Amino acid sequence: MMSVIYLILGIGAIICAYRAMVTQRLLSSILFLACVSALVSVVLFLLGAQQVAVVELSVGAGLVTVLLVYALSVVGDDARDQISVISKPVALGLVALDLLLAGVLVFPLVEPSLNVSSFSLAVVLWQQRVLDVWIQIALIFSGVMGVLGLLSENAGVGAKKDEVHL
Amino acid sequence: MISPLNIVLVMIISLLGIGLYGLLITRNLIKMVLVLQILVKSAMIALVLAGKVSGNLGTGQSLAVTVIVADTVMAVVALALAVQVRRYFGTLDVPEISTLRG
Amino acid sequence: MVGLFSILLILLPWLGASLVWLFGDSRPKWLHSLAVVFSLASGLFSLGLLFGASSQVVVNIPVGGWFGNFTLVADGLGAELAAVACLVGSLAVIFSVDYMHGEPQLGRYYFFVLLFIGAMTGLVLSGNLLFTFFFWEITALCSYALISFYTDDPRAVSGGMKALIITQIGGAGLLAGALAANASLGSLQIADLLKGAENIPVGTLSFIAFGFLLAAAAKSAQFPFHTWLPDAMEAPTPVSALIHAATMVNAGVYLLARFYPAFEHVPGWSTAVTLVGMLSALLAGLLALTATDLKRALAYSTVSQLGYMVYAIGVGGVFASQFHLLNHAVFKALLFLSAGAVIHSVGTRDMLRMGGLGSKMPFVRNVFIVGALALGGLPFLNGFWSKELVLEAGLKTGNIWQFGFMLFGAGLTAFYTMRMTWLVFFGAPREDLHVHESGIAIRFSTGMLAIGTLTSWLLAGPLSALLSNSLPFHGLEYISTLNMAEEILLAPATWLALAVISLGGGIWIITKKTLSLAWFDVLVSSSFGFEWVNNMIQAYIGKISRALQKTQTGQMNWNIFGIVCALLVVLVILAWGV
Repeated sequence: MMSVIYLILGIGAIICAYRAMVTQRLLSSILFLACVSALVSVVLFLLGAQQVAVVELSVGAGLVTVLLVYALSVVGDDARDQISVISKPVALGLVALDLLLAGVLVFPLVEPSLNVSSFSLAVVLWQQRVLDVWIQIALIFSGVMGVLGLLSENAGVGAKKDEVHL
Repeated sequence: MISPLNIVLVMIISLLGIGLYGLLITRNLIKMVLVLQILVKSAMIALVLAGKVSGNLGTGQSLAVTVIVADTVMAVVALALAVQVRRYFGTLDVPEISTLRG
Repeated sequence: MVGLFSILLILLPWLGASLVWLFGDSRPKWLHSLAVVFSLASGLFSLGLLFGASSQVVVNIPVGGWFGNFTLVADGLGAELAAVACLVGSLAVIFSVDYMHGEPQLGRYYFFVLLFIGAMTGLVLSGNLLFTFFFWEITALCSYALISFYTDDPRAVSGGMKALIITQIGGAGLLAGALAANASLGSLQIADLLKGAENIPVGTLSFIAFGFLLAAAAKSAQFPFHTWLPDAMEAPTPVSALIHAATMVNAGVYLLARFYPAFEHVPGWSTAVTLVGMLSALLAGLLALTATDLKRALAYSTVSQLGYMVYAIGVGGVFASQFHLLNHAVFKALLFLSAGAVIHSVGTRDMLRMGGLGSKMPFVRNVFIVGALALGGLPFLNGFWSKELVLEAGLKTGNIWQFGFMLFGAGLTAFYTMRMTWLVFFGAPREDLHVHESGIAIRFSTGMLAIGTLTSWLLAGPLSALLSNSLPFHGLEYISTLNMAEEILLAPATWLALAVISLGGGIWIITKKTLSLAWFDVLVSSSFGFEWVNNMIQAYIGKISRALQKTQTGQMNWNIFGIVCALLVVLVILAWGV
């Protein structure tokens, strides 16, 4: 029973990811990415990582989607038929080789373990990996500052470009 | 029956493959950011799966949270840069804006 | 205590280099003072090291894993070369205060000079083969950076590139030998190689021996790698004095002397070393006969004298070669620095345009004459004693015709030395050049070196004691200064040599004709055909680098392709290993 649910979720995620990559219109890609996030979040929940599932749902299906849509609205959707720099068969072959090897290497390792004695996420985050959490908070702040700095330079960069054209 | 863990493994590897293939193929900067998100999702599930298999689900989850934070910040900064690139270069076509060569 | 001194000898110049870099180019007076202070301090510490030299390992820092331990061994050979490097280095730095006055980018200059002094002492004190190689490469980098110091002069840049490429070829030989030694012995320590040389199979030992010979010949500009030294004269003169006369080229001789007991029984090695030394001595002597550039003539004479040292090691006279190294460092630095004083004041390096400068620059003329007489081998100057020792070492263990060739070389030396001195300082002035007497820093440094030239032969006894006590594998015997002097003065070979030298000098004074045979000039200017080889090598390397540049397309998709390929390689390695 569980396997069937996993199977449906897994196949759904793969199809949505594939459609996200393939479609020409960026807006559709973003929506498919949101679907992938949602399905992945459910898989995580079923695996037993409930907190991460919630975080992933809100961040992946929420924050990132909104960000991408905002960026797209500023930039504009240039949907055109593009020939890729690297030929498709070559890329496909290379990636297939990689996946084959990775799969062969990892497959035997995946066995469910018997001891499920682990700490809860809260304990791990705030007691064992406290430093990590503080660094992440610093990272978020620096990211926000960086973006504010970048986006506030609008006037400077745009104006210079106009001067050059004059 | 195939165990759920194996199905998740197949999902991870497929998402990895789709992500890598997309990075190799795509020419649009914003689409690259999007495909990177898919790639990072596969890494995240892999971490949680590893946590579950080895028994330390808590550690696995905390690592996955770290990955989410890092990759979200990266996406934010990359998108801000993409906006600037559009203003400065006039295009988002990656081969056209690659001026660092030789 | 000795360990502390050894570490300080490496770290002090490097600390000075960092401080110079931090201060930047805007405060030249600070830079001059810092450089002088740090180099003098390391000179003093190196003197202290001489008194505590022994064959023990004084610094032993485990670096972990395959590298073994980072060891410093302050024995006689290392301490002597470190003292030469630091003391002559500090005199060259003092000279630079006047010579480089007002030059831009002083920070870069002093940074590399100080880095170089520290690296050289590290090279000679190191007890671990791999660290010797590291310091070797750092000295090659510094010499490249200093030769092409005037980056807008294309000749300087190409001279620097040539020096770099040729010494790197030697470095490859050193690395290959070190790795082969590690493979057979399991250890990278020099003492282990010296101890266990008999246990290494002959094939591997020959490979190591000839690899080291390759490295030494390339670094000391011996035949067939002698072409980089004359072209390296584009460097500022104190750099020429420091690197190419007093310290860096001695690294090759040091390498041969250090490993002599391990390799002396390798079939063909001693003969090869002797041959290399002889050919360099003669070839460079011939090339110096018609040189018109003052520094180029001095460069050829350096190659020739290094040939004498290498020849001495080949025939087994390790003490003779080290003594000649010490004396040569002093008088060659003197010659270079006083030549620098001349060049700095008249503004040209062409000897045919100079003439009669002696009356206008008396101090420089006097010190230059002292150095030239030492180079030629006048009795009671330091060059005489060590050159006689080298010739006699050859006579003891070699053939008579080897002695004859080296004697002919000594005659050539006397001839071109007299020619050089005469063309610059005596005779009628050929051109009206602006001349001014030199500043106080120049006079101080050259004066100290002149005093050294007159007296450094007295150090023969202490040097012999130092070397025989602290080098357990070399089997050297102690000989005091008095015994050595007696032995040399009473040997008939000495009188023969003196006759040849005076003949050489006399021929010049009598004829005063510069040789000008057309075919000889053609041979000389192409450096007996070796220039062609060098140009080919440089062109080839240039072609390869331009071809490789095409892979840097700058396209992001290709970069990602590279990353994915690397991932594939990693996965393959993992799969194969499992």
